[in-house]
Amino acid sequence: MRERQSRRREVNKGENGHFDFVLLIVVLFLVAFGLLMIYSASSYKAGLDYGDPAFFLKKQLLSTVIGLVALVITVRIPYRFWKELDIWICLVGILVIPLVKIPGLGVTANGATRWLDLKVVTVQPAEITKLCMIIYMAAVIAKLGKKVRTTAGLALAFVPPAIAAILIYAVTKNLSSAIIVLGIAVAMLFVALPDYKVFVIAGISVVAVVVGVVLYAVGADDVESFRLVRVQAWLHPEDFSTDRAFQTLQSLYAIGSGGIWGKGLGQSMQKMGFLPEAQNDMIFSILCEELGLFGAMAVILLFIVLIWSCMIIANNTEDLFGALLVVGVMAHFAIQVILNIGVVTNTIPNTGITLPFISYGGSSVVLLLIEIGLVLNVSRGMRE
Amino acid sequence: MAARNNNRRDRRNRRRRRERYKSKKLGVMGILILLAFAGLSVRLVMITTEDHDEYLKKVLSQQKYDSKTLPFKRGMITDRNGTILAVSEKVYNVVLDCKVMLAYEGSTQPTVNALVESFGLDRAAIMDYIEAKPNSQYYVLKKHLSYEEVQAFETMEAMNENIHGVWFEEEYIRNYPNGVLACDVIGFTGSDNNGTFGLEEYYNDELNGTNGREYGYVNDDSNVERTTVAAVDGYTLQSTIDANMQSIVEKYVIQFNEEHKDYYREGLGSKNTGCIIMNIHTGEILAMASYPNYDLNNPKDLSAYYSQEEIDTMIEEETYYETLNQLWRNFCISDTYEPGSTAKALTLATGLETGKIQGNESYECPGYHTVADTTMKCNLRRGHGVLDVSGSLEQSCNVAFMKMAESIGENQILRFENIFNLGLKTNIDLVGESRTDALIYNEDSMRSVELATTSFGQGFNVSMIQMISAYSSIVNGGYYYEPHVVNKIMNSAGATVENIEPRVLKQTISNTTSEQMLEYLNAVVAEGTGKTARPAGYAIGGKTGTAEKVPRDKTNYVVSFIGHAPADDPQIAIYVVIDEPNEEEQDHAYYATGIVRNILTEVLPYMHIIKTEEMTVAEQQEVEQVLGAGAYYVVDSQTGELVDALTGEEAERNDSYLGEGTVQ
Repeated sequence: MRERQSRRREVNKGENGHFDFVLLIVVLFLVAFGLLMIYSASSYKAGLDYGDPAFFLKKQLLSTVIGLVALVITVRIPYRFWKELDIWICLVGILVIPLVKIPGLGVTANGATRWLDLKVVTVQPAEITKLCMIIYMAAVIAKLGKKVRTTAGLALAFVPPAIAAILIYAVTKNLSSAIIVLGIAVAMLFVALPDYKVFVIAGISVVAVVVGVVLYAVGADDVESFRLVRVQAWLHPEDFSTDRAFQTLQSLYAIGSGGIWGKGLGQSMQKMGFLPEAQNDMIFSILCEELGLFGAMAVILLFIVLIWSCMIIANNTEDLFGALLVVGVMAHFAIQVILNIGVVTNTIPNTGITLPFISYGGSSVVLLLIEIGLVLNVSRGMRE
Repeated sequence: MAARNNNRRDRRNRRRRRERYKSKKLGVMGILILLAFAGLSVRLVMITTEDHDEYLKKVLSQQKYDSKTLPFKRGMITDRNGTILAVSEKVYNVVLDCKVMLAYEGSTQPTVNALVESFGLDRAAIMDYIEAKPNSQYYVLKKHLSYEEVQAFETMEAMNENIHGVWFEEEYIRNYPNGVLACDVIGFTGSDNNGTFGLEEYYNDELNGTNGREYGYVNDDSNVERTTVAAVDGYTLQSTIDANMQSIVEKYVIQFNEEHKDYYREGLGSKNTGCIIMNIHTGEILAMASYPNYDLNNPKDLSAYYSQEEIDTMIEEETYYETLNQLWRNFCISDTYEPGSTAKALTLATGLETGKIQGNESYECPGYHTVADTTMKCNLRRGHGVLDVSGSLEQSCNVAFMKMAESIGENQILRFENIFNLGLKTNIDLVGESRTDALIYNEDSMRSVELATTSFGQGFNVSMIQMISAYSSIVNGGYYYEPHVVNKIMNSAGATVENIEPRVLKQTISNTTSEQMLEYLNAVVAEGTGKTARPAGYAIGGKTGTAEKVPRDKTNYVVSFIGHAPADDPQIAIYVVIDEPNEEEQDHAYYATGIVRNILTEVLPYMHIIKTEEMTVAEQQEVEQVLGAGAYYVVDSQTGELVDALTGEEAERNDSYLGEGTVQ
């Protein structure tokens, strides 16, 4: 009886508010700031290549509008609705990946087939997979309850995202998205399980493997493998300044030349053809060049506020499904921001990861806004 | 109830436990994330502070400071009335950027279609190229298109948004609208803006402007800025040449050579034919032509004079450019020859000016004259008998002139050669004027025989421009004007930069001597050897010349006529020289006087010079025929007399190209 009452109270509370406006405002600010940076970073090249400086801005603006509409819709659908669709969502998340191999549907650019041509828009299936895996894992873990600690339960929760990650890597050659999917899965399990030991061991072994590969790459004189060259280029960018590490070095030049206060908005020199993908993976370096360390810190701070908000919501949501949804989204943001800034500062080897909301990319912004919609919906049911 | 309570407590405890570790784990995760952010922030601080200077330098050094040249427009060359003789035109090269075109889906077909349609290009060739080099960014499809042609494509581009990757490169090319007209005077210029021969070379610096630049530089805030310095276009030259007179002159020079082509020997109508018309009161060259000529728009085309095999042989024997140079050089200023009897005018003027000849002398001509054991024949073998001074010039008697020279003496002859500027350059503003200082006698080389030959124009060399400049001073009152071809230099906006005023260099002979000379020279045409030079309706003066060329075997001659018109109040001097006319007997001055007569028949009416002589019916018909069916007559409004015959077109022009005080 009281349980039912408290349930009703939660729902009522949710509908009445406790809506996380701080998160919404931070997100809206980041989206708007992202559009500004995309215009600044891409206008020069877009003017040259397409005759329209706002070419990328217009496309991104369209995606952003679609994303905001999706956000509003997601906020209005009670998040528990998704819980019952878990199997279907999981299937969608996995099956959407091989679609790029269908001729006429897959789009190839820069030597990789990562996009689906839906005639009106092109969609990156890996982005959809990320969202699907977050919902699936949250639902499965919540449904399993204690049983998630059994081997079978673990398998049920972890195997689908692992398959998705392998598929993403095997079909679309997109290592970074595979890493992100795995990372999200691990983060959600980490919160769901009381264990530390397993994660510490897993963490140590990952670090060991990484160190081993790096040492091997350093030791190997004649490195033919693409990945190993990448590691070498990471360690000694100056030796690969014209090919492998060209982008990384240009990114460092951009960040370094910006100094503490930057050259001013729109004043980047590196965006004028020197830094490839300036509006994309490398947009953070243009941001540093134009707005300096100051601007970079401000953006990092905004992301910390975003992640912190997610953490509070997750912490204060009694419903495990809702909490895990938020944890998944939080992990997604954290991983992408950290990896992206890691790449542009050459802290980790170069791999194509976009900066949430700031980088150019239609599917990314739409799916990220849907994720924020989910989080906001969960936040309505928060405990006081 | 208790069980239920227990059950509920259990559940609540479970949830609390779960929440406890969930919060803990979230906290651990939050700390890990914050640590990662902290690490990245430290990295950012390091890069932005420690590496700032070094990386800033790298970024600046990568910037493109290289500048883009904005081409200037080379100035025009116009005739004295503004008719364009040479002009630089902006043309467009159509360039295809395959990379950009291919970056747009479905733009290949529409773009190639538009290119093929607008410029008539070969579709297969373009498609092959795109196939072979999809990354090419600079593929010149067609060169030197006009603005209209480009506009047609641009309209198409504006209509169809699927056309991409085509742009136009600007360039200037030199165009000579009149082709061969005045080729020797104008010279030509290739795309390098470097003039070759004529005005194009002599005034190369004036015609050329300064290229503009678009360049980048680093300003005080270490920002790269780009700046444009506009190109300064070259100056326009207004030539003294009158395009109409020039074309009249060329018409008859060519006509003579066409008529005499392959006439006696195989080849051109003459080795060279030159004609200059000069304003004797200013030194302005009104027309200057020579034959063979060439097309300024296509200066390397020898096909008019040589077969392809001959040209191939020339290229093999490396005489191709030599031949071209022969064609391009301006006969009127670059070639020297022995003037022959036209020099008698100078001899006589020298005699009169020095007082050694009074005008009342008479000379007996037995048909030969012996000087220092050398016997020289007169042009009339049987002798002229006794001649007075005027008769000597009229009959062009060599013996009389040898005798005159004897009385004048070597010193005075040499002094007056110098005064008449023979052996010196006239400094005409054209490239390639010949040096003749070694081609005339000096005090050491002139003995009595040389003195004798000099008197009738053999043994020393002159150029046409030297002769006509000297002659002009004889008939204009003794003023030696520096000959010139450019009147005015203007900037691209049309404002005058420099006016080139007539320059009197010296007084060669006195006014009185000049008047006396005029009488003698008029008599030559009226009574003597120059009769055939007179155009119907006009009186002119002048002197013929027939010079035997080396070797002296009586085969090759340079025939010429130098004269002035009209006879009483001379305005212009005209000089025609034919080097080796294609005739069996070359030694007839009437080849030259014929050309002069033809030219003056058209030029004098064009100059609004009033006819003074009565014309026979035959002459009138001939004039009408020459001036065309459209000729009409100008009637003096006061006297009602027929004063002039003009074609309709020429009547429109009322330019006083002879300065003040000419034709009224």
